[in-house]
Amino acid sequence: MENKKVKLHYYPGCTLKEKTTNLDDSTRKSMEILGYELIEPENWTCCGAEFPLNEEKIIGLAAPARILRQVKIEGEDKVFTVCSFCFNVLKRTNEALLTDPLKYKRVNAYLKDDIKINHETKDKTTEFPEYEGDVKVYHLLEFIRDEIGYDKIRSMLKRDLSNIKIVPYYGCRLLRPKGNMSIDEPDDPTIFEEFLENIGCTVLDFPFKQECCGSYLSVSMPEAATEASYNILRSAKLNGADAVALSCPLCYYNLDRRQNRIKEQFLEFMGMPVLFFTQLLAWALGVEEKILGLDQHFCSPYSVLGIDDKSEVKI
Amino acid sequence: MRIKLKRGKKENDFIERVNELSGENVYSCYQCGRCSAGCPFAFEMDILPNQMIRLVQLGQQEELIGTKALFLCASCFTCQSRCPKGINIANVAEAVRSLIDPKGEDHCGPNEIPVDLADELPQQVLVSVYRKFSK
Repeated sequence: MENKKVKLHYYPGCTLKEKTTNLDDSTRKSMEILGYELIEPENWTCCGAEFPLNEEKIIGLAAPARILRQVKIEGEDKVFTVCSFCFNVLKRTNEALLTDPLKYKRVNAYLKDDIKINHETKDKTTEFPEYEGDVKVYHLLEFIRDEIGYDKIRSMLKRDLSNIKIVPYYGCRLLRPKGNMSIDEPDDPTIFEEFLENIGCTVLDFPFKQECCGSYLSVSMPEAATEASYNILRSAKLNGADAVALSCPLCYYNLDRRQNRIKEQFLEFMGMPVLFFTQLLAWALGVEEKILGLDQHFCSPYSVLGIDDKSEVKI
Repeated sequence: MRIKLKRGKKENDFIERVNELSGENVYSCYQCGRCSAGCPFAFEMDILPNQMIRLVQLGQQEELIGTKALFLCASCFTCQSRCPKGINIANVAEAVRSLIDPKGEDHCGPNEIPVDLADELPQQVLVSVYRKFSK
């Protein structure tokens, strides 16, 4: 077990650094246990969160392409992320650069103006290689399935999670648009179920696993987003789940942090714990409770994991 | 809904621009309605996704102005994954949004963010909502 750690590039994305440190911390700890040393691309920025759907807004591809180019400059050919939005944007950017010569040319023209300043030596770098869309982007679920392997995960489990009845919630960005995102079959995905089964959870099915939670509409059309989120959580409850597992910080915001608003709009709503898949992974791998950041959740997930609830029950 | 149809240069230009900006071909839609059946926000919409496509096919730019449906798309691509013709309706909605009001006001910009929410909103939601609904 005391092997040298494998270096691996990790792009956390903006939200993980402040609002969902529970996702970031549990990812880092789990990957450390699995034998990886995570490296963030130097000077990374926000990926833009939304892939530009307008064919003429090519500038929106510059930020994700710059992040991926930095991974390439640092001598790596792959990077992983745990945020579904970042995964979607980075992966689609690669596809756009590989399939559209005009976008390739324009994006690389934008990136040519980049200047990198070394803050210690004050040296300026102005020459950069072109980025060709060839850094492979993994979501951690995909990386675990394809590179780490479920066998290894199973052999390293320290806790029994079989009491946790859980439903996987994919949301939209992990699976769609159909065709570009090959993490799994968009209409009948199984990767999340396989992951949860292999870390020992009791996995249940529910019909809302691919439904949208409302995404950014929780800001611009809050009532509509609240209703969409409520439908997902209610369906999970009706199907016998103790908790919902997910990977996206925005789904987490809509499905967990906004449960007070769901309660205001739907009086019969009784709360439903929501957990990141990395929190479950870390817990199964024997990580101590304080790393998981369970106190950040609105709906207390302590009882789901069989921990004495130290927080106030808010709902 | 009753509208008077005409087809001139203005209508043709609009359809052509939507196709250009979205990278889709709206003419390939044959109105099966699977997009509207699957849309998670159809319950709130004034016109359904398939009706939106139909109005674009007919070049009815004016009819699309002020429709709530354009701003209820969360770009979840459920419609795209179900469309038998593979049309990406989120792209079409984005193109229409940019054409009906090219230099207009933000639909949801920094001024629309409630002050009491400013602290709790994740960065990601702000970036994405500005990208979608502000100029």
